[in-house]
Amino acid sequence: MAIPISQVWTVASYVWKQKLKGVKRYPTVLMLEPLFRCNLACAGCGKVQYPPHVLKRMLSPEECFAAVEECGVPMVAIPGGEPLLHPQIVEIVNGLVARKKYVYMCTNALELKKRLHEFTPSKYLTFSVHLDGQREHHDYAVCREGGYDIAIEGIKEAVKRGFRVTPNSTFFDGTDPNSVRAHFDEMMAVGVEGIVLSPGYSYDKAPDQTHFMGRARVRKLFRAILSNRKKSWKFNMSPLFLEFLMGDRNYDCTPWGSPAYNIFGWQKPCYLLQDGYAGSFKELMETTKWEEYGVGSGNPKCANCMVSCGYEPTAVLDGFLSLSGFWGMVKGTFSTYKNKHAMKQLNEWGTHAPASLVQIANSNEILEETNA
Amino acid sequence: MSAEVLKYTREQVEALEIAPGTVHENLEGWIPELASDEDVRQALEKAFDYRGDVTLTLKSGQKIEAYIFNRIPGATLADSCVQYFTPSAPEKRKVSYADIARLEFSGKDRAAGKHWEDWVKAYNEKKAAGEKNIALVPDALE
Repeated sequence: MAIPISQVWTVASYVWKQKLKGVKRYPTVLMLEPLFRCNLACAGCGKVQYPPHVLKRMLSPEECFAAVEECGVPMVAIPGGEPLLHPQIVEIVNGLVARKKYVYMCTNALELKKRLHEFTPSKYLTFSVHLDGQREHHDYAVCREGGYDIAIEGIKEAVKRGFRVTPNSTFFDGTDPNSVRAHFDEMMAVGVEGIVLSPGYSYDKAPDQTHFMGRARVRKLFRAILSNRKKSWKFNMSPLFLEFLMGDRNYDCTPWGSPAYNIFGWQKPCYLLQDGYAGSFKELMETTKWEEYGVGSGNPKCANCMVSCGYEPTAVLDGFLSLSGFWGMVKGTFSTYKNKHAMKQLNEWGTHAPASLVQIANSNEILEETNA
Repeated sequence: MSAEVLKYTREQVEALEIAPGTVHENLEGWIPELASDEDVRQALEKAFDYRGDVTLTLKSGQKIEAYIFNRIPGATLADSCVQYFTPSAPEKRKVSYADIARLEFSGKDRAAGKHWEDWVKAYNEKKAAGEKNIALVPDALE
């Protein structure tokens, strides 16, 4: 695990304070979306399908700070849209850092290199760069040739200037695990702090609704990717969440763990689903019918979800609040997850020609699921 | 929402190979009949899911072009409302279901024609034509 001790301590003490106060439901990270406008036009993106007058709207810095104070989280992720298109993003980030919040500033990095001089390196600030695998995979996924090279330039410059940087990858059906593993090698060679990854989610508003993996297929893919790890790989995620993706742990969703706040208000019930909006964080927590969401609810909209915003909070709470979870976290930090069967599957996984449509090729490939 | 809950068992969910996505209706240009309370509720639920602007005509005769981002259902139409943004006003606004006489899905569906296959087809055609730096660009904001 690559997360600095000070951050781990901050989150652990926050979780324990909530437990001691008897708070039943509390968030660990706020997904703060200051705007939906983006400078990419990724096919299938479910986050930016709005009319122009909505895309032009933005949260003010004051609205961002008020939301963070209202929910009291120790960590804030700033996704979007592309946050670097917000004219006051530096003020927003500086304000959050001044409040000692651990900020994950998500970006596709198209503007990162030329904007870096406006930011100040801090243990509280991480650039989380959207990078969906190796060059051809990423460029296909974001529908822009050359996007990978620009992002890598931004990452290298950020690392050089002393910023914390984590590449953030989403994987869809047809992903080649061998290529993902090569991507990990490339990222660690560039000098990033750790890798962040997640399976894709079928956003309700996304144009494309057909290339999302079900849970069985997610486990196969991530078992192939994450077993037999190289010691050089570091992940900026809970080891228990990665074990969940591999099928080693069963977790239920914590939909209130990563609430989303944007120009519409507090999104019900979570960052991924848009089932309405609340006017305040309190209203969100008190009026959302939580029992209707998560894998255990049977809600079809939650059926394929194994995404970090719902399941990593569960893993984090397990790791900090139970002895078995804590021990699992310690073991997971140092384990390479050796697994002969997974290695065999990895070696037998279909290889793709360089010019093939990497994100969707071989989507009918069926491999045996195993926990061996 | 509640009607959809418990559609899957945990075992069924865990065994899913491919996730069934949402099937979006082609609503652009549609003018639903609002004869009954249920008609109004169903139409406004679709308007909430719609990825473009709609035009609301109120019983007062006022017309509102709006992006509906929230609906708050209540026991009666008078207790229920939609929240929306208009292109010209900065603040969130709301209107009661009971005040709405007509609904038209007048704006462009912002997700239509943006499937993965559309990108793949365009990419292959441009690549075959020898184009470089192939990319999709975001829609203009004006």
